[in-house]
Amino acid sequence: MKKRLYLELENCIGCRSCLAACTQCGGHEQRNRNYVYDVNPLVNRQTMPLMCLHCVNPACARSCPAQAIQIHETGAVLSALVEKCIGCQNCTIACPYGIPKFDTEQNLMYKCDLCIDRTKDGIPPMCESVCPSNTLQWLTDEEIEAKNQQFNLDNGKWVTSMPYLEGETNVRVNLPGILQGVTKLF
Amino acid sequence: MQSTISPANQTEHSINSAFASHFAKSMFFTIVGLAILVFIGTRMFSHIDLNLYGYMVGTIVFIGGFFYRFIAWGERPPTKIIIKKGLKLLFRKKTVKTAVNHLAIYDFIKKRGFYRWLQHVLIGWGCILACLVTFPLVFSWMYFTMADNGYYTVVVMGMDVIKVKADGIIAWLSYNALNISAIMVITGVCMALYRRMKNMQARAEQKFIYDLLPLYLLLFISVTGLLLTVQNVFLAGFLQPQMSLIHQFSVIVTLIYLPFGKLAHIPFRPMSVFARNYREHYGEQHMKECKVCGNHFVSVEQSNDVIQVLDVNDIHFNMEDGFNLAELCLPCRRKYRISRFSGIPTHQVKHKEANQNARG
Repeated sequence: MKKRLYLELENCIGCRSCLAACTQCGGHEQRNRNYVYDVNPLVNRQTMPLMCLHCVNPACARSCPAQAIQIHETGAVLSALVEKCIGCQNCTIACPYGIPKFDTEQNLMYKCDLCIDRTKDGIPPMCESVCPSNTLQWLTDEEIEAKNQQFNLDNGKWVTSMPYLEGETNVRVNLPGILQGVTKLF
Repeated sequence: MQSTISPANQTEHSINSAFASHFAKSMFFTIVGLAILVFIGTRMFSHIDLNLYGYMVGTIVFIGGFFYRFIAWGERPPTKIIIKKGLKLLFRKKTVKTAVNHLAIYDFIKKRGFYRWLQHVLIGWGCILACLVTFPLVFSWMYFTMADNGYYTVVVMGMDVIKVKADGIIAWLSYNALNISAIMVITGVCMALYRRMKNMQARAEQKFIYDLLPLYLLLFISVTGLLLTVQNVFLAGFLQPQMSLIHQFSVIVTLIYLPFGKLAHIPFRPMSVFARNYREHYGEQHMKECKVCGNHFVSVEQSNDVIQVLDVNDIHFNMEDGFNLAELCLPCRRKYRISRFSGIPTHQVKHKEANQNARG
């Protein structure tokens, strides 16, 4: 049963557990690869997480001269292969969401790999497994479809990621109805 | 296709039109070059070591694989740009320093861990040393003659270069160069295999074909090579001819495999020097200002190149707000995404981004 990472953005309480959990993933060498942003920093406390959305047609991999960014059979866009990455940083410029990080000392790019050592066996990624507010969820396509039905407001304002993202992604994003002035029916 | 090429064009590219493909052209000139070098090195083919004939054929098959793999790779739009501009910038002052750093002492690997650096130095330099000895011998660019008793004359490219005592230190080092390199490679490979057994992340991610096979191949070559010496020195050459065939087989298989697996990063790595030159040179020329916050974050050249490469791939990030996403610095690009999600112009808020490093 293939599951996906699913983000319900307005649930985020800004605890940054996902950042801490990210550092603890086996291959992440104590460095987190995700972000938590204040939405309107001088006005309220709403936060939202941002991580690699694992594009179906990833700009980072397309712009890599060394073919260092591989796409796993699960659809996860992996961190640069250490022996191939030549340190040109094209991927950081290409990514529409500004996700890849670069270590100038090691001359190496690193990014979210969806904890591939876990997710390839169907175990949820570290960030999802610690999220206390269900902002990050690990769901099957049927469950995501059920969410879609539940939240369908029939006004074209809901969920689907596409018009708000730059392309199809393997991570699904549920857009925050509350912030857009649309109350969701929980 | 033929009819669309005008006659003027045909005469212009006369050399290229003699070949069916880029591959055929590269292959032809390399083989011709190799033949000429062998002709010179062997004093008109009079000193070919036919014992090493198999390696010669293996090398030519390897060159075929190499061109096949790397011409295909070089045709990718981003690769093409880096190669083209990298060659143009090759004669910068800092090229030497960067090249030594990236290709000889692997400073960046030391930053990834001393253990990995040590294993890489042992494997890398063991292989380089072995290649420096093997290939000149295979193509007879270097051979030994004995005119005076007890003294070897080293002949390099057909010229008598140096006369060494047959039981002297230089001669000893040349006899044992391959043994030394074999011990280096075996040590390095064992370190790498140990890491791959103990490191949980490596265990989770490694694939037999990609990560372990090259290590086993290097081990196969080094062990069979070292056994040749053992058989000669301690066993009076017992089964030595058979082992030499096995060793030859191991080398040829590795050469054929090399352009297609993990070892492909060896011929591929000089690109990192190109990339560093590319970033430094164009970074000094003109930096791009972020469309939102005005910070300099990348060279104009690279930003334009990336936009162009993405266009070729039919990926266009032109926003309704009148900019391309590649023109935003990374924090602004992330904030812009948050603003797309929330409808609040997060990226316009003049406020430093919150700490994003989990370790403070």
